[in-house]
Amino acid sequence: MPQAISIKLFLSEAGDLAQFAGRFFRQCFRPPYEVAEFIRQCFVIGYRSLGLVSLTTFIMGLVLTMQLRPSMVAYGVASQIPAIVGIAIVREIGPVITALIFAGKIGSSIGAELGSMKVTEQIDAMEVSGTNPFRYLVVTRILAATLMLPVLVMLGDAIALYGAYLGVNIRGITSFNLFWSQVFDNLSFSDVLPAFIKSYFFGFAVGTVGCYKGYSSRKGTEGVGRSANSAVVVSSVVIFIIDLLTVQIADAMGLN
Amino acid sequence: MAKRTSDNIRLGTFVLAGLLVLVLLLYMIGKNEHLFGATYMLKARFFNARGLVKGNNVRFSGIQVGTVRKITIEENTQIEIVMSIDRKMRQVIRKDAVVAIGTDGLVGDKVVDITPVSLTSRLAQEGDTLITRASANLTNMLDTLDQSSRDIAVVAAELKITAQRINRSAIWRLLDDSTVPEDVKATLFNIRKASSRVSGIAGKLDEMVNDVQNGQGAAGTILKDSLFASNIRLAGDKIYSASETADSLVVLLKNVADNVHNGVVEKNGPVHALLYDTTIAQKLNISLDNIQKGTDGFNQSMEALKHNFLLRGYFRKQEKKKISK
Repeated sequence: MPQAISIKLFLSEAGDLAQFAGRFFRQCFRPPYEVAEFIRQCFVIGYRSLGLVSLTTFIMGLVLTMQLRPSMVAYGVASQIPAIVGIAIVREIGPVITALIFAGKIGSSIGAELGSMKVTEQIDAMEVSGTNPFRYLVVTRILAATLMLPVLVMLGDAIALYGAYLGVNIRGITSFNLFWSQVFDNLSFSDVLPAFIKSYFFGFAVGTVGCYKGYSSRKGTEGVGRSANSAVVVSSVVIFIIDLLTVQIADAMGLN
Repeated sequence: MAKRTSDNIRLGTFVLAGLLVLVLLLYMIGKNEHLFGATYMLKARFFNARGLVKGNNVRFSGIQVGTVRKITIEENTQIEIVMSIDRKMRQVIRKDAVVAIGTDGLVGDKVVDITPVSLTSRLAQEGDTLITRASANLTNMLDTLDQSSRDIAVVAAELKITAQRINRSAIWRLLDDSTVPEDVKATLFNIRKASSRVSGIAGKLDEMVNDVQNGQGAAGTILKDSLFASNIRLAGDKIYSASETADSLVVLLKNVADNVHNGVVEKNGPVHALLYDTTIAQKLNISLDNIQKGTDGFNQSMEALKHNFLLRGYFRKQEKKKISK
């Protein structure tokens, strides 16, 4: 019964992950706080990801606009491109693309880093030396990922919209002011706030999955690679699941 | 340590930039929805909100000035909408401004349009209820248009029939005939000639009438001579009596004719026998032949008598008398 075994494995993994997250929350609000390490992780996780996120969201905005243009022109609503692109970027593309890139870069790096520390028994050494390794390594990283991703999403949105502005102006002529007023005229708080809030969950998911996979890796150097890989895969899937849940919740709350 | 500091500066910049974008985004959206900045409330009542929802734009003469803040149903019949308007518009919107629910574009979102009416009315204050107007409804317009187009179709059909009739009519042929103008011209020319002749004739008639009045010419004599008139009357009398005589004559003639007719018709009468009886006709023929023969014989006898010596002397005397005459 390989299916039964895999289901059992999946469920136990999910249970472990939930336990890991619970452990994070328990440790998170208890002093002593590792402020310096947290700030360093923010720099590494947030600031260092900005270049990659900027590039991908810029391309995304530009390409989305140019791909949309032919059908919008066919329907005679070319003037609505800024509105549609603005809504698409702010509501969905910006958060999800940023989170996926973030998962690819940060999830794997956290998984690899913690995994190598685990298999080289540095974590055990930490525990012996009196430092709480969970608090020092895991809590700082998850917090940094949770808090930095929304910032990245906001900057990514802005860059993607700028890319869209350039994309609109490749074929047509739309003034900078007209583009932005069209984008903002068609946005409302119900577009921005759910997207902003869900990006916290995305960040939390990436950080938690990365830390869990790294923290629970075994079987030597081979296990490091596997935990880095599965950190990216699982956090990407979790991002989409969270996205699915958010849209349902926002809909139920009348924010859609 | 220096590296740590510069890293922190970069991190701070990064985080602030992200928050700035968020704040900017929220502020721009909020500004569009008039969440920030001073506003004041105006109300309007409609019988039909026509799909207006909270957050729809309010425009004053087409300029974005606020949003719809609240929509409530009042007493089951009326819809009260509360609009939050930019406070700056306090110096502009007056109490008699008219509010209508319109559409942004043909199929766009609903908007509330405030239209100014006068410059004399007092300015609208916080909480004032403005006058409303039921705006043009697309469905009603289409209904009217449909009715009009049907009417037009009927009129067009009738016009078509009329045009066809005109096309077939004599008048149209007359109008269409290119020779008509020429003919009309010629006719007019003839009329002008005739009228000039008529005027000449009239002048002559005038002369004749003058002559008649003066008693000249035959007509003048007739009209002016009193003796001639009495003669005419006398002649008339005579003609009258003659005609009376003729009358009695005609009666007599009729009698004669009747008698003749009766004679002819009566079968036993001699005339009828003469005219219709064939045996008598034959007999008459024979009789006439015999008479002819008798006469011939008589002529021969007479000739013989002439040459008779007894009578020769008488005949010679007769001839001599004739010659002497």
